[in-house]
Amino acid sequence: MKLSIYRFNPETGEPPRMQDYALAPEASDKKLLDLLMRLRTVDDSLSFRRSCREGICGSDAMNINGRNGLACLTALEGLKEPVVLRPLPGFPVIRDLIVDMTQFFAHYRSIKPWLIGEEPPPERERLQSPAERERLDGLYECILCACCSAFCPSYWWNPDKFIGPSGLLQAYRFIADSRDTATAERLDFLDDVYRLYRCRTIMNCTEVCPKGLSPSHAIERIRIALLKRSS
Amino acid sequence: MRLFSGQRAWVVQRLSALLILFLLVLGGGWLLFGPPLDYARWHAFATGVHGGPVVVLLFAALCAHAWVGMRDIVLDYLQPRALRLAVLSAIAVVLFAVMVRVLLSLAAHFSLGP
Amino acid sequence: MARPARPLPVFLNLFRIRFPVGAIASIAHRVAGVLLFLALPPLALGLDASLRSEAGFEAMRELLAGPWRGLLGLVLVWAAAHHLLAGIRHLLMDVGVGSGLAQARASARAVLVAAVLVALVFVAGWLA
Repeated sequence: MKLSIYRFNPETGEPPRMQDYALAPEASDKKLLDLLMRLRTVDDSLSFRRSCREGICGSDAMNINGRNGLACLTALEGLKEPVVLRPLPGFPVIRDLIVDMTQFFAHYRSIKPWLIGEEPPPERERLQSPAERERLDGLYECILCACCSAFCPSYWWNPDKFIGPSGLLQAYRFIADSRDTATAERLDFLDDVYRLYRCRTIMNCTEVCPKGLSPSHAIERIRIALLKRSS
Repeated sequence: MRLFSGQRAWVVQRLSALLILFLLVLGGGWLLFGPPLDYARWHAFATGVHGGPVVVLLFAALCAHAWVGMRDIVLDYLQPRALRLAVLSAIAVVLFAVMVRVLLSLAAHFSLGP
Repeated sequence: MARPARPLPVFLNLFRIRFPVGAIASIAHRVAGVLLFLALPPLALGLDASLRSEAGFEAMRELLAGPWRGLLGLVLVWAAAHHLLAGIRHLLMDVGVGSGLAQARASARAVLVAAVLVALVFVAGWLA
């Protein structure tokens, strides 16, 4: 198989370039990550993040043939060649396919991704009905891979001020949680011309989420929650 | 709604859109199914006591909608404060001038009856 | 390290990114909006001319039938049609209609095609 991979070495001072590779996959190689790991036996300077190899850690997010995705979940069969691999768009490149996720995680932290419950805590569990628990489906599964935010044009233009689809989806995960008591404060925080309202419902996020989540839907629900609150 | 929230602009954009849509459908219906438009009929409508405010309302909605849209573009693409202020001011001036032009036109030809 | 760090490169070559149909409809919506904004002052002036006198009204009618109707007319009618249809799509998605991925893709495609068709039909009628 033929690949064309973005290479950048911060120590050489040279600009980024594309490097071509050709490698025959073994029969056991089913996903792009398998091929990339095999590629490292040929060129061990090629750098990329990876860990679980099963689509749950979110480490190997990258731009594959123009669309963001996880290398470990991208099947080799049917993959257009040459397979063009680039780092996540809009994120500072540390080396090859490894990007700086600092800003992305800062936005996540800013939405307070923890339960703010009643004080003092109840004697036993904070109870939640099955219906209430169902409201978290499609929200809690986010693996923070950044495929969505790195495919969002609004995030590209204002990565420091717009929270981005991932952060906003996570924000809604807590707004929708019946056990969380800080809904008003969370909504107040998001009600800002940059933090939430840079979203133009382009829906690039939902197109590329490797877990099948819909950040655009979560953002829609936040807007409705904000409207309900002010009426 | 908080005064300088992000929500207000979004609501203005949606509400003005609905209003424009409504007026365009009405206007389109009038043009398509009403008698052919000539100067007399047009003048009577636009400068009349009912038609005049409708024309003003349409332009006000268009200007409000355009303001939110153009401001979003500026906020997206222009980061330097001075440049942003300059461009937003220019857009505001253009929209203000459009409203003034429309109001002056209608006031000049306003009539209370046929 | 004593020397300041060089800024890190960023991959953001839009020509190397494969945009979904919704993104195309979205940027077209924005471009159409800007074109319509630019058409507002002429529209206001045209309103005035059409009210000033019968001659003014006829002059405006002539303008719509004049040589402008070719390319400029096509572009402006497309802008109005696309912005309107894409706007309706957004209003519906706001209330949850068609906001699922498959439906959103279909409606984006429909809007893109319909706007071009409306522009072509209008201009064809105009030129005929």
